[in-house]
Amino acid sequence: MSRSGTGNGARKRAGEVWKPVYCYQCVAGPDLMKVQVEDGVATRIRSNFDASDDHPGGGRVCVKAYGLIQKTYNPHRVRQPMRRTNPRKGRGEDPGFVPVGWDEALDAIAARMLDIRSRGLVDESGFPRLAVSFGGGGTPTQYMGTLPAFLSAWGPIDMGFGAGQGVKCYHSEHLYGELWHRAFIVAPDTPRCRYVISCGNNAEASAGVAGVWRQADARARGLKRVQVEPHLSVTGAVSAEWVPIRPKTDAAFLYALLHRIVHERGWREVCDVAFLEDSTNAPYLVGPNGYYLRDPVSRKPLLWDVEADRAVPFDEMDGRRPVLDGVRVAGGVEEGPDGEEWRHEAVEARPAFQLFLDHVREHTPEWAEAESDVPAATTRRIADEYLAHACVGETIEIEGRELPHRPVAVLLGKGVSNGWGGYPCCWARTMLAVLVGALEVPGGILGTAVKLNRPADSRHKSVRPMRDGFMDYPFNPTSRQEWSRHPGIRNAFRMMVPLAANSPWSPALGPAHLPWLFQKQAPEKWPRPTPPEMWINYRTNPSVSSLDAREVAERVAEFPFIVSFAYTLDETNWMADYLIPDATDLESLQLMRIGSTKFIEQFWDRQGWAVRQPVVDPVVDARDMTDIATELARRTGLLESYNQAINRGAAGMRLRSDAFDYSLDDAQVHSPEAIWDAVAHAASHDLTGGGQVVGIDWFREHGFLLRPYSEMEWFLYPTLKERRVRFELPYQERIKRHGAELAHRLHEMGIEWWDRQLAEYEPLPSYEPFPDIWIDYAREVGRDPDEFPFWALTSRSMQYSWGANVGIPLINEVAGNVAGHRGVLMNRGAARALGIEDGELVIIESVVGETQGRAVLREGVRPDTVVMIGQFDHWVTPFAKDLGLASLNSVTPMALSLTDSTGSVADLIRVQVRRAGAADLRRHAVDPAAPAEIHAGDGRRAAETP
Amino acid sequence: MSTTDSSPAQGTPRYGMVVDLNRCVGCQTCTIACKHHNDTPPGVQWRRVLDVEQGEYPNVERVFLVTGCQHCANPPCVPVCPTGATRQRADGLVTMDYDTCIGCGYCAVACPYQARTIAHERAWYFGTPSPQEERVFHDERVGVATKCTFCVDKIDEAAQTPGVVPGLDLEATPACAASCIAQALHFGDFTDPHSNVSRLAGENAHFQMHAELGTDPQILYLYEVPATTPGRDADEVDDIRGSNPNDPLVGNRQTFWDVRAAMNFILGGMSSGLAVAAYPVWALGGIPDAALPWFLAAAALGMGVGLLFVLAEIGRKARFLYVLRRPQSSWMTRETYAVAVFFPAVAANLAWPSPALHAVVALAAMAFLFCQGRILHAAKGIPAWRHRLVPWMVVASGLYEGVALAALGLAALSLTGGRDSPEPSHLFALAGLAGAGVVLAGVNAALFRAYRLGAAKAGVGPLSRRDIDAIAGGMRWIGHLAPAALFALAATGAGVAGAPLALVAGAACAVAGGVLWKYTLVTRACHEQGFALPRLPQRGSGTRAAPARFGLG
Repeated sequence: MSRSGTGNGARKRAGEVWKPVYCYQCVAGPDLMKVQVEDGVATRIRSNFDASDDHPGGGRVCVKAYGLIQKTYNPHRVRQPMRRTNPRKGRGEDPGFVPVGWDEALDAIAARMLDIRSRGLVDESGFPRLAVSFGGGGTPTQYMGTLPAFLSAWGPIDMGFGAGQGVKCYHSEHLYGELWHRAFIVAPDTPRCRYVISCGNNAEASAGVAGVWRQADARARGLKRVQVEPHLSVTGAVSAEWVPIRPKTDAAFLYALLHRIVHERGWREVCDVAFLEDSTNAPYLVGPNGYYLRDPVSRKPLLWDVEADRAVPFDEMDGRRPVLDGVRVAGGVEEGPDGEEWRHEAVEARPAFQLFLDHVREHTPEWAEAESDVPAATTRRIADEYLAHACVGETIEIEGRELPHRPVAVLLGKGVSNGWGGYPCCWARTMLAVLVGALEVPGGILGTAVKLNRPADSRHKSVRPMRDGFMDYPFNPTSRQEWSRHPGIRNAFRMMVPLAANSPWSPALGPAHLPWLFQKQAPEKWPRPTPPEMWINYRTNPSVSSLDAREVAERVAEFPFIVSFAYTLDETNWMADYLIPDATDLESLQLMRIGSTKFIEQFWDRQGWAVRQPVVDPVVDARDMTDIATELARRTGLLESYNQAINRGAAGMRLRSDAFDYSLDDAQVHSPEAIWDAVAHAASHDLTGGGQVVGIDWFREHGFLLRPYSEMEWFLYPTLKERRVRFELPYQERIKRHGAELAHRLHEMGIEWWDRQLAEYEPLPSYEPFPDIWIDYAREVGRDPDEFPFWALTSRSMQYSWGANVGIPLINEVAGNVAGHRGVLMNRGAARALGIEDGELVIIESVVGETQGRAVLREGVRPDTVVMIGQFDHWVTPFAKDLGLASLNSVTPMALSLTDSTGSVADLIRVQVRRAGAADLRRHAVDPAAPAEIHAGDGRRAAETP
Repeated sequence: MSTTDSSPAQGTPRYGMVVDLNRCVGCQTCTIACKHHNDTPPGVQWRRVLDVEQGEYPNVERVFLVTGCQHCANPPCVPVCPTGATRQRADGLVTMDYDTCIGCGYCAVACPYQARTIAHERAWYFGTPSPQEERVFHDERVGVATKCTFCVDKIDEAAQTPGVVPGLDLEATPACAASCIAQALHFGDFTDPHSNVSRLAGENAHFQMHAELGTDPQILYLYEVPATTPGRDADEVDDIRGSNPNDPLVGNRQTFWDVRAAMNFILGGMSSGLAVAAYPVWALGGIPDAALPWFLAAAALGMGVGLLFVLAEIGRKARFLYVLRRPQSSWMTRETYAVAVFFPAVAANLAWPSPALHAVVALAAMAFLFCQGRILHAAKGIPAWRHRLVPWMVVASGLYEGVALAALGLAALSLTGGRDSPEPSHLFALAGLAGAGVVLAGVNAALFRAYRLGAAKAGVGPLSRRDIDAIAGGMRWIGHLAPAALFALAATGAGVAGAPLALVAGAACAVAGGVLWKYTLVTRACHEQGFALPRLPQRGSGTRAAPARFGLG
């Protein structure tokens, strides 16, 4: 059967061709597609069926891809570079943008840059004068051409002004996941998994085409998923069971599962004891001060050898069994923070597993029921089902190798793994896998990619043993000598968050909301806050997408010089000094890695490269980002280092290696085509070992180039075994030590406002009544918590994903078929009690503000919870601003007290809900007669009613 | 002439789909892929996925239900189409010929799956046509019915290409199925036992939506997780749920036929009734020969105005004569033929009055009235219309109003005739008409009562029933009791002063009742069938959750 596919049924017309590109509007991609073009006009989009047999999602694209043609022809696009004429900035200030030529705009920006360079790249507070923000969880990287090369050539840049990072991502999981199993993102081994406990993980909305495809196959095969969340998401909808849970109590439920397994079912009977003994730190002896008891000479942690009846270093067991529980008396050294040591001749030491058993002893299902509303019997049954499916002791053959087979997984959602409670949830989630040996083995829980560890292109290569027998991890140092005493950039990730590491991704994984907060009111003992002298924002709209978005918009307005790469006007570039239109998805050239394992459920047995290319005649005077980056480099005298950065791999592939040299001449200006041609040659050479070296024109014709990728690469466990490395679980000695050292450092500086966060550096994370943190926040700002009886949450929309297509009417039309896209989801009974009718305008008010939308009454939401899908409280963005939607971002506060030790905040807040009064109705701009919810999206009716 | 292009022959495929409710995640990719492939304008979705809830918190289930044209084996849209624009091919595809369709909307109200759309105006996503829309806009689809074609262009191209199999080769598969990211939509040939759809249907429990309507839809819905979790029967849609117009399963008022269509039923019904009633009265001497033309002219005028309203309603007015193309099955065509006899007969009768022509006029009017009843009854998509009593009610109401109008005419003659003493035959006619009015009031009252009492059982939803109930009082007092009493008074007191006034008042009430009922039925109690999920995957919260499982499954 032919899969080359250049036709579209009987619709072929003269001048019509199908051109291959990729869609990468969210991290779940890229997905490969073809665009039908007639005489330079894009007319239709469909999946690239050529990839059907290679792509883990059948080669399909999701609903968002089909919006790209309207995105191209959106009449509201910024049509040429624009310059601000109104020096005042603010929500109420018309920027007075006027068109300018490309040369004028680029010269003005370059002049500003040269001025900065002449005065030094950091300001008097020690902060970079240039700041750059990107949205979309790294997706801009696949659109911004060689801009990374320009940024690399520039020097220090503050990339820490967040647009929702740390709130809208799986923040704690990113950090702890990378620490524990090289899992920036966690996914089940869906093709083999049989039982999933999902605490709010919204895979059917978040995991992209590959996720939906694989999960649907798994369901048809019989995978049972239990979805635990406050409202019945699309993922909950297609799960075997929905367990409504009180927001932010997932840790209680997870701890009770642990309790059920180890105490009620008996860990010796149901757990993978061999895995605990050999592959974790469960047998590591812990001394009275909470640090490993170590051999005084080798400094290696000790285990208690059952046969020899004595403590021996962890790597000298020679196949003998260690003890996992009880108390032993042993001698050794504990290494505390800052070189502090405790030498013991004979001291009571407990295996880490015994501490773990003690830690969850009180967390019975009954206790958890009181916290979470999940019935104890349900918790017990779910734990028992989990064990029944865990297949402890079984193996499976993958590519001829025998590996453990543990087809069970526990997943977390964003609001669960973010903010307070995130650490306990991530730990409990991973421990549930550890107890049955389901971590990084077929059927179990897998990591998909590394963003903090290095090298970035291989989880396996990042597995380097450290002295204690675990994987090394690039903690930001906390020792007196090495600690970063200055925040560095304004979110201070190197200073405040040891787990954030220091990779190119790390700035986005620091406390990304704190710069906005500190910009208004710096905390004590902090450098004087200075706004960046130049701020570049690219595909990001923090004035809408951030926590407390209105407050962020005010901070943005204080920035003296803003360059916005702009598609349409939006709430952030409303404050810009220059709008620069870059070529969009169907207009620009870039080569991107595809395949291997990445982000959520992209588990391929192929790897390679795909192209995005200009396929339409220009409709506005936009330029390719690579072209813009090159021009900026040239005008700022950075051309040479810019080209060198490209040669080093800043465009995704190093151009020179031992095997090939396609490097660019440093001194020359190169066209985007020349740059990507060089990248294409290097990439194809690297991929095929020189067997098939092709240029960009080949990619533009064929779309992608793939080679096999071993399925064994999906599983980290074999690599750990080969390198004799253990998972660093359950005990977190390094976390404890870094926390203690960080406390010393901050206290030495007199900083005490981070103490609550420092208390979270526990070796075994404690449960606390996390909901109370949000309930009590009202008191912090002088309000009564009883005023705010509801939880307000958000939920991911596959149709909108990163929100950048909120201005696309086609997407709005079809998204309207999915409940919640046209209003605020509320429990029908709870609404009735408040006298709220379906479709009625309601006000959602928190301590920081209010937002309004139409009530969408459903049964699948807890009576104490309201849900606002998306983040669409726009006031500038064309089309979006007229939708009259509510946004959680308008009511969520930015506050230190709501920030956890990793710098993240959970995306929820306590609110009151009330019917809109007459004044509210007048303010609500949308047509009050517009029907709510499903029937507003009823196409036929819409067509029938002009 | 047949409504089917040809009978299924040996080797002719029968295309259809299998939708796996357990796989579908409601992502709308099929919806948007369909919009791309078929260039549908804003708001028009040939493939739509509903977001449905069952149960009440904390026992809730959420299901995504793929809808669209079911390409029924026995499609109710095809026979009703008056032009032949909607046809059924031998391979089962129900097709649309945009160049023939007049946009009357009859197919749309006949479809119990809400699959059809009529976009009367050009519309653009951004208000003005984009370069893309300029290229893909279909002028031929403005003002006509459109719906899912199963991407017939792909199937037909595949038929020209040896070895290419629709449903297997993605190029030759409808855009929705080819785009589905959950493999929830499967397309193929049900006559091939080895096709993907035959295999899925054979190996899995499935249902057809609204199977009880006899449409034999060619979309089969799977609802079980194979081998692990059996499905379950859905809850009954009770009146509380059926009364929620925001529930995606609940049909809303159809908008294809508005007050303009209602005017045809109102004016056409009473006018044809008048023409029918006038004949026996004339034959018995109650209407003088000289007066008869006035009666017939009034009937023709009323019917003509009603038809002008219909003309105003249809999307493609210049093609209105195409309505004559489907006499073999469409009551709308047949109604037009009745018109085609009625008006010439009236005209001829005015020019050359004759008893035979009088009879032809009356017969054509009766045929017209009968067709009107059948038109509504054949609209399978509207439960309140397809009720078995509706044709009888339309005829009974038309005759009742006709009698009333005839009586009005006679009363007018007696009041304006200037005669001192009315002819006995005239008094006899008045009394007879009044008596007939009493009888017809009773018949209409009985039919209306029977309709109301049986509506729920007949599948008329609570929203339509509520609209009918809302006029019940008015119908009882104004439409039935008052006319009956006034007609009885007029009948018994014929010749007494004031009797004509009672007759006039009774007639006015009878006509008002008919107007109220038809207006309500056509434009208010006209809720669409809605959607149904007779069986469901077993999943959800509380009592709806899939059963506990302590094995691998």
